[in-house]
Amino acid sequence: MSKKTVAPKESNRYLSSKESSLFKELLSLYEAKQLKKGLKAADQILKKYPEHGETLCMKGLVLVHMGRREEGIELVRKGIRMDLTSHIVWHVFGLIQKGEKKYEDALKSYTQALRFDKENMNLLRDVAQLQTQLRLYDGLVETRYMLLRLRPTARQNWIALAVAYHLSGNLAEAMKVLVEYEKTLKNVPHYDVEHSETLLYHVRVLEELEQYPEALALLDVSAKDRAIVDKTAIMEIRARLLSKLRSAEAEHAWKVLIEHNPECYDYYKGYTSNQGLNLGLDENPSEALVILREFSTQLPKANVPRRLSLLLASNEEFEALAQPYLLSGLKKGIPSLFVDVKSLYVDPAKLRSLQDIAESIRKDTTPDPSSAPFSISTEPTTYLWSLYFLAQHYSYLSEYSKAMELLDLAIAHTPTLPELYTCRARTLKRAGDFFGASRAMEDARLLDGQDRFLNTKSAKYRMRAGLIDEASALLGLFTKKDAPSPGADLEEMQSLFYLLEEGDAHQRAGRLNLALKKYTAVQRVFDDYEDDQYDFHGYSLRKFTINVYLNMLDWEDHLRSHPSYIKAALAGSRIYVDVFDDPKLASNNVDGGGTDAEKKAKKKAKKAQKEKEDAAKKATAPTTSTNEDKGLDVPYKDDDPDGMKLLSAPEPLTLAAKLLQPLTTLAPNNIDVWISIYDVAIRRGKHLQAVQALARARALNPEHPELHVRIIHAKLSASIIPEPIPSPSGPVFAETLDKILPEDISLATFNSQYLQNHSTSAKAVLAAAQASRMLGTPLQEVEDLIFTALHDEVLLDIKTALEISGFLKKIKSSRVDELHKALDAKFIMSTAFKTLEELVKIREAVLTTNASSSNDRPDNDTTLVENETELGRVEAGGSA
Amino acid sequence: MNIRLARPEDLSGMQAGNLVNLPENYLMKFWMYHILTWPQLSFVAENDKGHIVGYVLAKIDEESEEKGGEMHGHVNSISVLRSYRRLGLAKRLMMLSQDAMASVYKANYVSLHVRKSNIAAIGLYRDTLGFEVAEVEKKYYGDGEDAYVMKLFLKNQS
Repeated sequence: MSKKTVAPKESNRYLSSKESSLFKELLSLYEAKQLKKGLKAADQILKKYPEHGETLCMKGLVLVHMGRREEGIELVRKGIRMDLTSHIVWHVFGLIQKGEKKYEDALKSYTQALRFDKENMNLLRDVAQLQTQLRLYDGLVETRYMLLRLRPTARQNWIALAVAYHLSGNLAEAMKVLVEYEKTLKNVPHYDVEHSETLLYHVRVLEELEQYPEALALLDVSAKDRAIVDKTAIMEIRARLLSKLRSAEAEHAWKVLIEHNPECYDYYKGYTSNQGLNLGLDENPSEALVILREFSTQLPKANVPRRLSLLLASNEEFEALAQPYLLSGLKKGIPSLFVDVKSLYVDPAKLRSLQDIAESIRKDTTPDPSSAPFSISTEPTTYLWSLYFLAQHYSYLSEYSKAMELLDLAIAHTPTLPELYTCRARTLKRAGDFFGASRAMEDARLLDGQDRFLNTKSAKYRMRAGLIDEASALLGLFTKKDAPSPGADLEEMQSLFYLLEEGDAHQRAGRLNLALKKYTAVQRVFDDYEDDQYDFHGYSLRKFTINVYLNMLDWEDHLRSHPSYIKAALAGSRIYVDVFDDPKLASNNVDGGGTDAEKKAKKKAKKAQKEKEDAAKKATAPTTSTNEDKGLDVPYKDDDPDGMKLLSAPEPLTLAAKLLQPLTTLAPNNIDVWISIYDVAIRRGKHLQAVQALARARALNPEHPELHVRIIHAKLSASIIPEPIPSPSGPVFAETLDKILPEDISLATFNSQYLQNHSTSAKAVLAAAQASRMLGTPLQEVEDLIFTALHDEVLLDIKTALEISGFLKKIKSSRVDELHKALDAKFIMSTAFKTLEELVKIREAVLTTNASSSNDRPDNDTTLVENETELGRVEAGGSA
Repeated sequence: MNIRLARPEDLSGMQAGNLVNLPENYLMKFWMYHILTWPQLSFVAENDKGHIVGYVLAKIDEESEEKGGEMHGHVNSISVLRSYRRLGLAKRLMMLSQDAMASVYKANYVSLHVRKSNIAAIGLYRDTLGFEVAEVEKKYYGDGEDAYVMKLFLKNQS
């Protein structure tokens, strides 16, 4: 808060000289966060001037800092009413709103404050941060310009203006400012990292302006003067600029970088593209292969050139390179060897070749009991790792029993290698045996209980098997002991993996409230990531680390393109749509439906919350108020621990739309996004948005089964719109829909044609069945259609099989058991289609074989019945 | 594996890798603070899908006056996913960070904390990288375990 001028006596801002100096003291006490003393000073002023707006606001602000938020905000509001033309009251209000993350509102208050104190540096700096947070870059330029004009001696004001121009898209002005700034500098010491970063920023601006010679000149002279001290940055930018300038020096520059860090792909790419080659995309890669061979010889320890050669080579040349590559990896026992070469499998010839090489290494190293004893011990670990490699290979190719046999051999050879069990677990998971998979992963964990990686994996596999409580018990081995629950700690630590896995597990078990709770928590993690940048809008400019700051802004702008956000948004939106279609879903979950551990955790959380509140109450008592600064940010309070409020929210579709909104620009190539947007929009009566989403989906994959169902749905919805949609939306809607499916084709014909074209895809069969149900086909015919998905010539995986089962249940078919029996016979290793009685036994076996956490499971019948949905609806996860 | 300087878009992968691997975890703002303050010191290893499989997060510290006030580097956190071990990633990540500490900040030495029981990590720091145990910090870790403070003096590179 800045000092104010003396108000005339008749004004309601007037304070007598004693109170006036007391108010100045209050402002400095606040700056120093001497909260207790500040509060005392405020009270003293208010004794004589109880309606003094600025003091009321300052007292309110102090109270919020002390954790007495509601009381404080009440006073702030009152203070504003008392003195609407004071910059202090609006500044205070802006601070409060910023703490509530209401950046737009805060900016309005600040703008108001500036009207009454135009050249207040504190206000202007805060405004600049808010404008950056809100990406209001034109306004930012004005603010930064004002700040520089007010204080041109502050170095950061120059940089800040340049950055503002840069962000607003005006690179030329940014450069002018930098040039002017550098003229003002005198006696910059050598090795000044801040100055070095500033110059690197200047070089970047020149490069973005495509002024390559100027950029290179500035870089070279600054490097020579030791004004730029970041040698790696110098080398990288230099190589890039020289390439762009087609300089003969470029080749050497890239070579120096490769020698500096031989494991960086970008450098090899830079080197070869400088030679006019395109790694992996050239028809004739022989030239690139020669280069890579030279680097391999020169840098014998470097992996990247050897691995890149495998990508480029083919036929005999590939075999000649792949053999030593695999052999050396197996000899060293590198666990990631298979994952490393797997991407080469897109070429079937390479797949074949790698399989042959690995099989032959296995053969050569297999111990031969009939020969002399020393030969047995020649390559025992190479043999072991070749078994591991091949097991992963066959598992990946869906040859599960072959993989399992190899793992049995390997485990008999070396029973203590956790990787063998993790591979067994993954194989069983792929084969649909989620319980067996979980047991195998737990076997791996038990071999190294100190390893959090194995702990996390085992917990994940338990969640995939629907064993949420048991997963939580494992996670708790590494989370904070004083947290209300392992999950609460992981959520606080922003573990996206945990939130998604547990959300999915709840979703599969039909506990939509808890699933939605986790998906919403993912959304909140991203909100926090977004808020986290705020302070850096000031901090980074003071530190002069501009390049990384600009990259950070760019990352923040694309934050929600993160796969975890997309997953959570899609899953959450689907639940909202389901609840909209069937509001009973929200009331069915009314008991919260938590698992045992969750109920315990909830109790603990409630207790912790109460303790917190008690403590807060204590703090409210004037006698115990302390100086402790609780800040202005609103602490997160969970008043809906079981997610029931979320699930029964009055406007589920609005919430779904909000989840999906960022994805229209951040994940426009994801067809699921457009399908979800359609589902939400059509139900909200936003017909135009709905068909436009379909058009976007269609552009990505016109034959997608989910899209097929929506096209039929859209046509049917259009036919029952009560009154025509007004222009201009109406005609565009009709035209777009007609382009997707012309009027003269009947829906039944469209559907049967689709089925005919895709009769060997189970997903398409399901889609056609869903569509025909919508078109009013009798149940029996739909069932008959669904069962064709079981034919031998149809490609059916477990995930789709589970969806098919879900659909039959949804249309209340009497043939669900029959379907499950057939599926159980089809997927021999899978437990997904076992009967409830069988599952109970399997589950018991898993938990009793597991050494840990089996003893606290009550094994009476009620528990088992409670878990019926959970047992029945275990779903295939994506292969990890 | 591709080894390179850490960028802001790597942060969530680094945070996730840390959470599945190590018991000491940090909020995003902590990760941001480090690479926005010392953008030259943190590195990542990524697989061919672009997933972060290893990282080193480092900073520069100034000693207190009584200790000599020297500038030095400090490794906050380093880890490599279990499934990507034996490739020498940790060693390479450390060496790149150490190199940058010395060349950009003229750091005299680099320090780090390690659990007394973490034999594998101590082996890497001492035998492969040349660190030595400088002191023991009692009950440094949340669970009460002691930490070794290990140090490596960096060759002065001009």
